[in-house]
Amino acid sequence: MPMNTLWLLPALACYALSAALFVFDRLSGRTQATGYAVAILGAGVVFHAFDLTARGLQAGNIPVANFAQALSFLAWLTALAGLMMIVRLRLAVIGAFVAPAVTLALGAASLTMSSGRVVLPASLRSVWLPIHVILAILGYTMFVLAASVSIAYLAYESRLKSKRAISPANEGGPSLEKLDRINYRLLGWGFIMLSLAIVSGAIWADARWGHFWSWEPIESWSLAIWVLYAGLLESRLTIGWRGRRAAALTLVVFSLLVGSFVGVNLIFPGKHGGNFG
Amino acid sequence: MDQTLFIIGINHRSAAVGLRERLAFADEEIVAALGRLRDSSPAVLEAALISTCNRVEVVGVASDPALAADETLKFLAADRSVERAAFADVVYSSAGPDAARHLFRVGASLDSMVVGEPQILGQLKIAYAQASEAGTVGPILHRAFHKAFSVAKHVRKGTLIGHGAVSVSSAAVALAGQIFDTLKDKTVMLMGAGKMAELTARQLNALGIESLLITSRTFDHAVALARELGGTAVPFSNYKPHLKMVDVLIGSLASTKPVLGPEEFESVIRERRYRPMFLIDMGVPRNFDERLNALQNVYLYDIDDLGALVKRSLGDREREAEKAEQIVELELESFLKWLAGLDLTPTIKDIRYSVERLRDVEMGRHRGWLAQLEPAVRERVELLTHGLTNKLLHRILSGLKHRDNKTLDAAFAAEVARRLLGAELDAQVHDLDDADDDDDTGTD
Repeated sequence: MPMNTLWLLPALACYALSAALFVFDRLSGRTQATGYAVAILGAGVVFHAFDLTARGLQAGNIPVANFAQALSFLAWLTALAGLMMIVRLRLAVIGAFVAPAVTLALGAASLTMSSGRVVLPASLRSVWLPIHVILAILGYTMFVLAASVSIAYLAYESRLKSKRAISPANEGGPSLEKLDRINYRLLGWGFIMLSLAIVSGAIWADARWGHFWSWEPIESWSLAIWVLYAGLLESRLTIGWRGRRAAALTLVVFSLLVGSFVGVNLIFPGKHGGNFG
Repeated sequence: MDQTLFIIGINHRSAAVGLRERLAFADEEIVAALGRLRDSSPAVLEAALISTCNRVEVVGVASDPALAADETLKFLAADRSVERAAFADVVYSSAGPDAARHLFRVGASLDSMVVGEPQILGQLKIAYAQASEAGTVGPILHRAFHKAFSVAKHVRKGTLIGHGAVSVSSAAVALAGQIFDTLKDKTVMLMGAGKMAELTARQLNALGIESLLITSRTFDHAVALARELGGTAVPFSNYKPHLKMVDVLIGSLASTKPVLGPEEFESVIRERRYRPMFLIDMGVPRNFDERLNALQNVYLYDIDDLGALVKRSLGDREREAEKAEQIVELELESFLKWLAGLDLTPTIKDIRYSVERLRDVEMGRHRGWLAQLEPAVRERVELLTHGLTNKLLHRILSGLKHRDNKTLDAAFAAEVARRLLGAELDAQVHDLDDADDDDDTGTD
């Protein structure tokens, strides 16, 4: 039975409830529950922050010592950044993707999460650990959010193409242009973070093991993902691929990312020891 | 007899515009007209005049609403120089709860030609202000109008009655808002001279766009319109090179077959690097090949697509209107409760009169020795007795008014007052100048 801190369950409950409310509003075509959904998501972020802080204090490092902790950290950052986007950019529509995704990620993390003191292998204790890991997680956060924005884009786009009116309650929703622009920015920032994560990992590997690159599965996959995102950005900058095609490709690359994230970490844990990035 | 609300008038449903315009009042006429109405119609105790494109109505207060309505009709006929027979058949009138309901429905835009349109509330507020200025607003009309405003507010907040585009051009503008984040950096091109297309271009232009291009088979027309709207006229022979800059293209050319097809358009969107493009086809026959809608980031809406959106939002508004009607009924109930409370006014006046009379009688009996007192002391005694009677009155009257939890009706209250203070009341000769009326029983 995995042990959790006092705060993990409330955080998970908040995420789940928020997800249910967001999805309910999407399905009913109304926005009655959205206000509550946002507030509850916020409460989840706070509880989750307590949990992470408790674990961090316990470990004396940022709480990313194993796959579960890293996943939990990713969920938290995604929830936080998603919340900021929902409030600041008035993008309540992404809640129906972000909140369930966060719930799923934290749920999966808490099932495998251990309590007690998680001991970091001596080989990994380095100043590069937080830099490398946080950069990678930030990059992934951007990609999750880009995917959520892309889903919203595709949903709105198909309505406009098929000439089904947007329900009156959603009149104030974001325009296609806005969603596309936000998607582009998220991809850009995600790409920068991922690039820096790879570079920092290489520097760290060189310092620790004397070589930059060891073709571990996670490294190969990350490189592949990096190339795909680079291509995505490149196609927009040169050909001008935007809108529907960009959103669809964002989702394709994101699903590959999730595949590599889960698959590589669980099936081929190399020196990353079940840690991604 | 009890005073009650009445309403009489014509609207877009009952009368054609030809008649409505003959009975209509210009804004600046209304205050004076209300004065004339008051002077010519003794049965009309309070009155306001609502005159818009869609209605001419008098809302008033009367003890005999039928008589008041008749006097109002006479006034309208005389004042507007329209023989009464010309509109007698299309006039509707109602009194009491029905009149209040009508006023509330008007304010909530449930009686409008386009249900949910927002202008009527402003017009109602102006009508109220004009009646205030004319001095024809009394306690009941004051309360009725304020209730109508608050009903309208509740309906706006509690329903989606004001949502959705209800004209073809506003549907097009709303769609532009769903595709583009801002129109500030967008270029709109108007092709042709169709009225609806021009209206749409005007609306987009008014929202603030980067530039407006106008092309037309008659170049002079394009030039004239471009000059008026601050746009640029483009010769029809040479409009195609401009297409790559255009974000919103409105077509209303007279043409037997589409002027733009997917083959040539493919290169246009490639040139504009797939930036979204909104094509509004208001031409019949259609100007744009419908296959254009399948192109990347191109959104093509023809006149029927827009019409379907309008129809849909009108349907949505009808559904929301049902909710709004329920709000109206609820608020009507609370207004009628208040109105019933106002019927206590005579009883309240009676009670006040009799208690004050008691004091006067007692003071009279002691006049002799009071006269010997020093003026300052005598004043104090006066104050003391005033204080006593006022306290007593306050108790009784607030007891009467705060009867919400118990249904004490006006008739019963009058009977109780009569039994308790009967001797005084029998003796009274009601002094009408004692008109410190209590019209503050209503709550919002």
